[in-house]
This record gives sequence, structure tokens and C-alpha cells, in this order.
Amino acid sequence: MLKFMRNKIVGIEVKDSNTVLAHGFLDDNIYSIEMNVLIDINHLEIRDIDGRWNRWTTTECKRAIPFLKEAIGLRMEGDFSQTVRKVIGRRACRHFANLLLECCYTAKQASEVLKDKFKEKHDVNNVTSENNSDKNVTPIISADMPDHSDTPFHDKPVSFSMVIDLHMHSFPASPCSSVSVDQLIKEAKRIGLDAICLTDHNYVWDRDTVEDLRQKHGFLILRGNEITTDQGDMLVFGMEKDIKGIISLAELRKEVLESRGIIIAAHPFRGFLTVGIQQIGLTLERAIKRPMFKYVDAIETLNGSVTENENRFTEKVAERLGLPKTGGSDAHEVSRVGVYATGFIDKIKDEKDLVDAIKEGRCLPTVFRKHAGLR
Amino acid sequence: MYNILEFTRNRSTSVEQTDDKTLRSYCHLNDTIMEAYVEIAVTIPDLEIISVQGDVLRPHKKEFKESFEFLKRVIGTRIGPGILKIVNGLTEGIRHKQFAFMLEECCHAVILLFTKEDLLSSPRPDDEEESIIYHRQMVLDNIRLYNRCAAFAPGSRIVEGIIPKDKDI
Repeated sequence: MLKFMRNKIVGIEVKDSNTVLAHGFLDDNIYSIEMNVLIDINHLEIRDIDGRWNRWTTTECKRAIPFLKEAIGLRMEGDFSQTVRKVIGRRACRHFANLLLECCYTAKQASEVLKDKFKEKHDVNNVTSENNSDKNVTPIISADMPDHSDTPFHDKPVSFSMVIDLHMHSFPASPCSSVSVDQLIKEAKRIGLDAICLTDHNYVWDRDTVEDLRQKHGFLILRGNEITTDQGDMLVFGMEKDIKGIISLAELRKEVLESRGIIIAAHPFRGFLTVGIQQIGLTLERAIKRPMFKYVDAIETLNGSVTENENRFTEKVAERLGLPKTGGSDAHEVSRVGVYATGFIDKIKDEKDLVDAIKEGRCLPTVFRKHAGLR
Repeated sequence: MYNILEFTRNRSTSVEQTDDKTLRSYCHLNDTIMEAYVEIAVTIPDLEIISVQGDVLRPHKKEFKESFEFLKRVIGTRIGPGILKIVNGLTEGIRHKQFAFMLEECCHAVILLFTKEDLLSSPRPDDEEESIIYHRQMVLDNIRLYNRCAAFAPGSRIVEGIIPKDKDI
């Protein structure tokens, strides 16, 4: 017996030699929605859009409809899918975004099939496209709103030599971040951190550049890298190699071992305990058997972009596995710097010290920003 | 010719539980020029993709086979947050992006299955007050949902009074 089914139907109606109307219908066990999208087929640009709900889940779902208009002007080029997911998926509803992509890609496919017909009409009518100026559509991206508890996870009067935020992102090295590296450093200094690690996505910071930043700010800055693998995101320290694209975790392990670096599983259960997922019955016993944990040296058990429950679950997993635990803010904006960090028992002066300390478990994750009485 | 559709597409994605430990998610595409499917098997509860297969039923072209080999790169990954980035990354360079999209649809359907199971115990939207209380608690429990869609954005009754901490709104 089927447990879930989603059906989508898109029909493409040719309105004139420049324009098609895509009518999309999505129906599944949860939602039923419809939309009409008017598309300039020469420029692959959305000219108009409307939609309606037939079935929904919350009383407020209807608020999504006016936001559909924000798709007007978007063109099917570059990161179109990503833009639709951000603009429509987050401002309106991700299911409308899904149906909009279906409508647009069907229209694009249709235009290729029907191009001879369009050309023929175009020649006959000598129609020129008007109003085809480029529209500079700036997506309005809603930011994550991570949970941050007032309840400390660790009642430990551990005396740390240093507290370092091991996980943060700067712009433009991480396009998802909104903060420059200088701003990150200034904030880290302001709130009293002893050092930070730059862990931009699949990005290797140049040693000299970072040394210049250290000198400029009089502050210890260490280099890391958050690498996307087939098993999720991994924080890597002590490796110079620039990894582009997705790498398998097993392959990454080989590279890191050669470099004498370490791998920390970043937020390994992010989203796994949110709505619906608890239905899968993910238990501690099952979680500790995940293959990823064979390849990592430590686990990030305090991450600033996940929920309390996810952090607590991750902490239990790390404890059962006997792996060192770390903390990091995963900051993408100034106000998040130092929300979580890692306390080190020994003085850390460079990346080698950092790698050794984590390998030996001479560190603990800590709720830093709250403890410092800062907001 | 007016109002006669020139091009139509149907895409159906379904999930069935084949045994205690396995889900099968199947995406079938049928449009004016092509009929194809992509199918994945996923373990429960890890949601690890253990197999991927697919075929083009119409038109038959050998060139498509290469794309299905690309899709097999996702075997061993787990469905969950970030899966889209992983699927896109692992299938980068695929000649026929349609099949990568079908793979994404298979993954979405698995997530939606669990969402459905969860919603079965929630108040219906027409039970307005109960529904708002239920969803407000859901956002409070998973604050990452705040501002993730129009229903959970400022101005919605569901998130009225909720102010995420440590965050500029």
C-alpha cells in the first residue's frame, strides 16, 4: 500500500508567439495547490503568476498567495532553481516553489519542442518583444532563526586556558554569510573570545592572508574548512587541500589522514528531530551506528544553527561513541558570533595545537555568549 | 488551436514501505516527449539511500544510461536537511538534469511522508484556534521554522508574540 503520493500536472497553452501560459496543479496527501504562470518564452521570464490553495495545513497558509508575485521578473537562467526556492519557498511556501519550478521547466521544455512553431509565427507576424529589459531581481532571503536556550548544557566549572569559536562563516568566502571577516574578528574580540576559526564552505584561506589578519587585529585566527560530503557537512582542520564539489567522506578521510588533520562531524543531526522526522523512530542505538562516525575524530555537539533537542541528542551520541566534543556558533552574522564555542584546557597557538588538542579530547563545548552576559 | 494544450506533463511520485526497514520512493514522468522513472530505496530509520535506478521508457536512447550512472553517486547519502545540496553536488555534470530533479522529488516524497504521519495527529486547519496553538508550539519547538514560509513569518497569527532570541528581526 502506498504511504504517500504526490501528483503534479502541468499544461502549456500557447498564448502568442512570445508567451505561454503554464497551468500547474499539485495534489498530494497533504496539500492541493494550483497556479497559472505567464512566461515570456523568448526571454524565459516570468511575466505574471497567480495561485490558489485547495487544501492546506495551517490557517495561515493563505498568506503565501500575495508573495507569489515576487516571482515576476525572474528568468530561467543561472541559479534559477535556488532563487525560486529562496524567494518563493521562503517568502510564500515551498510547495508553491516546487510547483513553480515544475511549471517553468515544463514551459522551457515546451519552448524547445515548439520552437519551430514559434519561429514560424514570429516571422509571419514580425512581432518584436517589448518590455524585455533586464530586471534586477534581488531575492529577499529570510534568515534562519536558530533556537538558543537560556539553559546551559554544561554545569562545569572547568577552567579553560582558551575559548575558541570553531565554526563561523564570512562573506564573500561563504556566499550564505552576511558578515565580513573583519567584522567577525572585531566581534569575537569584543565579546572576549580568545580566537576564532574561519570555516568557510569548501574554501581554503590563504596562510599569508590570515597571518595579515592576525597582525592587523592582534588576534589569533585559525584556518579550517567546512566541506560538504556525501554524509553531510564536515569541519576539517589541518588540511591545505582545496576540495571542490562534493566528496565522499571516506575519500575525505584519506586526504585528511595524509595531511595529519582532523574531521569534526558538523551538526550531524540537523533537522532530523524536526517536524515529522521523529516518526521514523531514530534512536540513540541506531544513531551511533551511522557509518559517518567511523570517519570522524570529533563531533560538534553544540552548534548555533540547530535546536536544543538536536544538540542534546548529538551530545548523547558523542558520549556513547566516546568521541571528543566541540562547539561552534556556525555564525553567518555578527550577532551569532560566540553563541557556542569550545574551551581548551591547554594554550592553543596555532592550527597544529588545535588539531592535537581536539584529537586528545582536551577540550569541551561551551555556551559562551550567554555566559559572558552578552546579547 | 486556441486552448488546445501544446505540451503536457504529468509527474507522479509515490512512497511505499516494502518491508520493516525499507522505503521505496518512485518518481514517474510522462510528458509530450518523454516517459521516464527514477526509483530509490531508503533504509528506515537512517533514511540512507541504498539503491538508485531509473530508465527512459520513451524515447529509448542509449545516451540516457550515462545519466542514471551519475545518479548512483548518491548511494550511501542520507535524506535530510542538506540533501538537496548533496544531490546537486554529486550529480553536477549530469547531462540530463531532469533525472537529478526526479531524484530530488523522490527524496522530498520521503520527507513529506513523515510530515504526513506527524500531521495526522494535528488539529485540522478549520479548527482555527487549536490549529494555531498546535503550530505555534511546533515553531517554538523548532525555532528554525520561524520565517521559513508565509505561515510562520511575522504577521502570521501562528508566530504572534514569538521573538527569536539573539537575532535581529
